[in-house]
Amino acid sequence: MSKLITRRSVMAAGAAGAVGTLTTLPISMVRLAFGGTRDDFTFTYISDAHIQQIKGSTFVRNWDQGLRRAVAEANLVKPESDFVIFGGDLAQLGKKDELDHGAEILSHLSPKLHTVMGEHDYYLDLGEYWSKLYGPQYYSFDHKGVHFVVLNSILTTDEWTFHRWPSDEQRMQEMAGLDNPNGSPFMVGEKQRAWLKEDLSKIQHDTPIVVFSHSPLQKIYKGWNFWTDDAEEVQALLQPFKSVNVIYGHVHQIQYNQIGNISFNSVMATAWPWPYPQSYAQVESHLPVLTVPMNRGDPFFERDATGWQLIDVNSGRVAARYQLWDNEPRTVAFDHKQGRPVDLAFQEPTHRRPAQNHY
Amino acid sequence: MAMRMRSGALVFALLGFTIGSGTRCQAEPLGLPPVPIPADNPQTPEKISLGDKLFHDSRFSGDGTISCSTCHANDKAFTDSPLKTSHGIGGHAGTRNAPTVINAAYFHTLFWDGRASSLEDQSQNPFLNPIEMGLPSHEPILKIVRDDPAYSDAFKKVFGASGAGISMEHVKKAIASYERTLISGDSPFDRWYFHHDSAAISEPAKRGFDVFVGQGRCVSCHVIEQTQALFTDNRFHNIGVGINRIQPETPRLAAEFLIAKAAGASVDKSVLSDPKTSDLGRFAVTTHFDEIGAFKTSTLRNIAVTGPYMHDGSLKTLRDVVKHYNQGGKSEGDPSINPYLSGGIRPLNLSDQQMDDLVAFMETLTSPAYVNASAGGSKP
Amino acid sequence: MRFTFAALAIGLTLATVSARADEFTKTDTDRWQKEYQTVVTDGRSLWTSGALGTNGVACAQCHPNAANTHPETYPKFQKQLGKVAQLFEMVNWCIRNPLEGKPLAADDPKMTAIVSYITYERRGMKLTPGMH
Repeated sequence: MSKLITRRSVMAAGAAGAVGTLTTLPISMVRLAFGGTRDDFTFTYISDAHIQQIKGSTFVRNWDQGLRRAVAEANLVKPESDFVIFGGDLAQLGKKDELDHGAEILSHLSPKLHTVMGEHDYYLDLGEYWSKLYGPQYYSFDHKGVHFVVLNSILTTDEWTFHRWPSDEQRMQEMAGLDNPNGSPFMVGEKQRAWLKEDLSKIQHDTPIVVFSHSPLQKIYKGWNFWTDDAEEVQALLQPFKSVNVIYGHVHQIQYNQIGNISFNSVMATAWPWPYPQSYAQVESHLPVLTVPMNRGDPFFERDATGWQLIDVNSGRVAARYQLWDNEPRTVAFDHKQGRPVDLAFQEPTHRRPAQNHY
Repeated sequence: MAMRMRSGALVFALLGFTIGSGTRCQAEPLGLPPVPIPADNPQTPEKISLGDKLFHDSRFSGDGTISCSTCHANDKAFTDSPLKTSHGIGGHAGTRNAPTVINAAYFHTLFWDGRASSLEDQSQNPFLNPIEMGLPSHEPILKIVRDDPAYSDAFKKVFGASGAGISMEHVKKAIASYERTLISGDSPFDRWYFHHDSAAISEPAKRGFDVFVGQGRCVSCHVIEQTQALFTDNRFHNIGVGINRIQPETPRLAAEFLIAKAAGASVDKSVLSDPKTSDLGRFAVTTHFDEIGAFKTSTLRNIAVTGPYMHDGSLKTLRDVVKHYNQGGKSEGDPSINPYLSGGIRPLNLSDQQMDDLVAFMETLTSPAYVNASAGGSKP
Repeated sequence: MRFTFAALAIGLTLATVSARADEFTKTDTDRWQKEYQTVVTDGRSLWTSGALGTNGVACAQCHPNAANTHPETYPKFQKQLGKVAQLFEMVNWCIRNPLEGKPLAADDPKMTAIVSYITYERRGMKLTPGMH
């Protein structure tokens, strides 16, 4: 698949040489080592940039700044991450100008880039331009003994996608509103589940699996499409494997969960934070009980409650190191004793801070 | 504990009246909360007096010429205005602008990058920095205070310590104690805002206040509250000073700094000896990506007489400062804004009149005791 | 006899005078509820429109279903304003800052609509003024 945007290094010619020789400690938090026979490695996760065009070549400065900052900081990591995942929603309304502008910013990342589709990228042209930029909408690859799967998990019913709306633009607008009652639940869909089944049939059950998805592959809150309608079917396909990690975007907040053998970790947006579902007082929602919420952001600081992630894979288990701006870094790591992800600093109720109270 | 603090505050209050923080007889000046006094360092008149003496003693330097007051001079609102960056022994130029000591007692951390956790902690560093006082260790200080009878009597009286029993802990506490009396509020702004004296400030300054809390977006970091105004949030922000110019080199500088730090290099020495390292800001202390190029929010009290501005003294006048913010964190000569810029900084679209008014407002923050301090940067 | 007649006369007089004080009918209250709901709907429309500012950003982008607006906690000390403020002042802060628009008067019909929508989505919550 040909790609229009090539990767370029942001390093000035002089600096690149010096940086290449450094082998310092990782710049952020303590590396977690569980021991084991597989390689430990780290990759970068940047998601939900929501590049939004105002007019012509003017874009909403706030979201641009978020993506630029994530890219600049990600490039500071030494040793360099094995690869970068972009977690979906690069554009706000799926427009070519927005995708191009976002892709240009992402092109400054040094490591290899893999991408995940988001609904804001998809519903204008059903991913046609996205595929020109970034290739397939779902695929898999292997890296250091781990099997990675990328799903397009923001599809919905054929009726809604093809027959409900008079224009592509309107379809995109309707899906763009998180709380829009005219929206439609996300799903992976039968075709992809069949592909997934086939793809996984070639993998040993003790091979760690990491799934990248935009929607949560769980059912958290339908009103805001924190939801994957065929979550149970997808989870069933993943059940035979000993160690499965799902990493998802879309929710613009810290969430984590354990369902059977599957650990779930959300990633932050670089653009803006979303409230936790329990703060919508009129309906019930099902945020995983064990999630410790992130701090409520101060909207004056446009980057507060946004950020990016370094994901460590240790013996096939995931530790998500959240790089939060204007905030304490957070690490949510798989705890072998408890058999689920825990927040290393704030899991104990007595360790919480007032700003972590969401109501 | 509370009892001790209250009596300490009371003693301080009486002293405040005499030492010259204002003409009002009250526990703290108008517009400020009570000074935080640590339980293990209560205020007493003798301790304050001892601290005053230590603060002004230039014997505690490599060539006998530099005291705390060299860079924090009484007649310059406790700065060395108009110097951009301070000069230590042998005329060595440093990388950073001397902040005022006035109201430093309200800071949670000291220095532009917050590397000291208290006034006590801060006081010991400049003695040892080769750019500042350049002593090889604290021993020369201890020798003087142990041998000089004027000092040894005072240390005995204040701390009950003598001879080898006098330690840097005592020196630090005395200096901090003196610094806690350098408090000033009761500016024209305070009288207008908290005492509702409508004649206290001019019309342009009143318009400037509206900009300050509105379109200027200043109040979120330079805090004003319902009954007090510290004008600082005690946090660290990258506002695009210094860092803008080293942008292409930031990855290399950050990485090299971390290697040096891991090998035991002193942050205090590194940041004062190399301007580019200095521009890394709070990152040098915490190593968080998030704090590259970030510096502590200064108080704006007495700002008109404490120029030039910013950690490197690079902005000469208050108008220059306002322009920098108006342009979204960028001044002339900067290639572009830097990617680590605080989310609170963005173009403001202020008109010339609004910028003038904002400067006029800031000029109302000078307390009566300091109006005659050396001209700061408010006049071009 | 005269007394009863007088009482009857007064009674009749009363019957011919229209409703006094806070006396209204169910028809009135139904009608007023509908009118109120149109204002809530206007508020919702403004909430999602992106037209309140100059950069196309809509309130709903950060506040789906007006979540995280906490109208029941106002007035309260608002950091971003440096003082104790009312809900409409914070709405204006958002219009000026993330939406880069011009503030509305407190009694502007648009502000009324926005505040109506916000409070409607938060209906039933206990008043907790001052809470953070």
